[in-house]
Amino acid sequence: MIESRHADIAIIGAGPAGMAAAVRLAEAGVHPVLFDLNATPGGQIYRQLGNPQVGAGVMGEEYQHGRSLVEAFARADIDYRPLSRVWWIGRKGTGYDLGVVQHRAQSWHAERLILASGAMERGWPFPGWQLPGVMTAGAAQILLKQGALLPGVSPVLAGSGPLLYLLAWQYLQAGQPPALVLDLASASRYRALLRQPRRAWHGRNYLLKGVRMIAALRRAGVPVLLGVDGIQAEGREAVERVRYRHRGHWKTLPAALLLTHFGVVPEPQLARSLAIPHRWETGQQAFLPERSEVLAVEERLWVAGDGGGIGGAINAEREGRLAALEVLQSLAGKAQDGLARERAALQRARRRDLEARRLLETLFRLPGDWLEVQPEDTLVCRCESVSRGEVERAITQGAAGPNQLKAFTRCGMGPCQGRQCGESVARLLAHRTAQSMDAIGYYHIRPPVHSVTLGELAAQQET
Amino acid sequence: MFRRSPHACQTASQVQIRVDGIAVSVPDTLSVAAAVLQVHGWQGYRRHHDGSPRAPLCLMGSCHDCLITVDGQPNRQGCLVPVAEGMQVERQGGGRHD
Repeated sequence: MIESRHADIAIIGAGPAGMAAAVRLAEAGVHPVLFDLNATPGGQIYRQLGNPQVGAGVMGEEYQHGRSLVEAFARADIDYRPLSRVWWIGRKGTGYDLGVVQHRAQSWHAERLILASGAMERGWPFPGWQLPGVMTAGAAQILLKQGALLPGVSPVLAGSGPLLYLLAWQYLQAGQPPALVLDLASASRYRALLRQPRRAWHGRNYLLKGVRMIAALRRAGVPVLLGVDGIQAEGREAVERVRYRHRGHWKTLPAALLLTHFGVVPEPQLARSLAIPHRWETGQQAFLPERSEVLAVEERLWVAGDGGGIGGAINAEREGRLAALEVLQSLAGKAQDGLARERAALQRARRRDLEARRLLETLFRLPGDWLEVQPEDTLVCRCESVSRGEVERAITQGAAGPNQLKAFTRCGMGPCQGRQCGESVARLLAHRTAQSMDAIGYYHIRPPVHSVTLGELAAQQET
Repeated sequence: MFRRSPHACQTASQVQIRVDGIAVSVPDTLSVAAAVLQVHGWQGYRRHHDGSPRAPLCLMGSCHDCLITVDGQPNRQGCLVPVAEGMQVERQGGGRHD
């Protein structure tokens, strides 16, 4: 074994939260080490913004917003380590030991840690979601950002959430409009919202943006159907047809590409592997790590950005800065008077943003009984090909929690380690055993939380 | 299949890689998974251990449906590996790979 390298402060993730935390620390003369999975900084939202492949006219202003942050990050004195997988974290002394693979294996010890692992697309089963030709809207955006890649066929967009409309609008700007947009949110949900003036006012920017995008799509002749309550992909080797239920009737449409979005949830693995307490947040319909007002989950561990709860990119940037202020205070060993005003302003803005966010949560709330009404052979766990029926039979046979279900059915034991099925399994258990999501809980997550090969681990690196 | 937009910024260099032995030129900003989606599309990307056809779902490191052989190493997450000049990529169409 080689000695582990030491860092006063390590940050995991180079999305808006991680970048902002690193930049703020560097401004104060503290130089963090930052590990990120990707080749370039930006996270998912600002991916490839340092060398954009698509013009601003297609991507929209939200993407451009990250420009100054990406530039500040490039200038700052940060030990930035791209293409790095942090595959385990353990508590050691007052800090944390990290296992990192960056081409080869390294061990690190960090006295303080900011987790900024961001969000992932929610795993949301429907018949045929494992077929080639079903991809997430997030994946489609990644292709657009990474290489200006557009689908060669008109896609069907389906699901719920602002990203669905953003992608539809971006494709329209790029000259490849979708064939159809299927929105799970009903028209009455949109109307009900407008009857809540206070909420609508807080979220007016979101509302306005959404209304403009839907109007642009309809002007361009893209059908937008609201209140769709069933989606299926069919085909042998790939998607050939999309079926959807609208106003009580199933309809079938020939299609080769179905892009879906069912909201985003915190990427859970590192926080879960540390057994940080989580609770089910009904507004976000997600398990969130329990954080203090100043984003701390332990004395020297902070969770910033969407990894702690979905607040969007601008909020994530604020949270990154907020976590950096806490780190500075922790390094100094006492309250820093000079930082009090900055902290208060960040917290005020954060509260305001999260208030506005509730509007999106209400509007794009997913149906709680979705999974139970899917056909029995719908896959819940894609990796081990475990269907809803198999999960439910195991529950009937006495599998009392997610970890027992894993032993009964192998669900959650594949390479994605439950990222795609963890929520579904908890939902099915909660429903069948009439318990709360908090009572059901989640899989025990153990390292490696990323795929690493024995070869990579054997090849220890000196510098 | 995915195609490069005619309005793409001309700021990416091209690299040559081999996909299933055939040389192709792709932008160097792409991941291996994105490159395969540009060259071949989602059809034939991968066959799962249960025999079902699979292709990338999320492209952000969570779903593991983009597993692919890169320079002889099977089951790499294609969405997390950037393309590089001379890289040999093989789609895992044959069934079991574990």
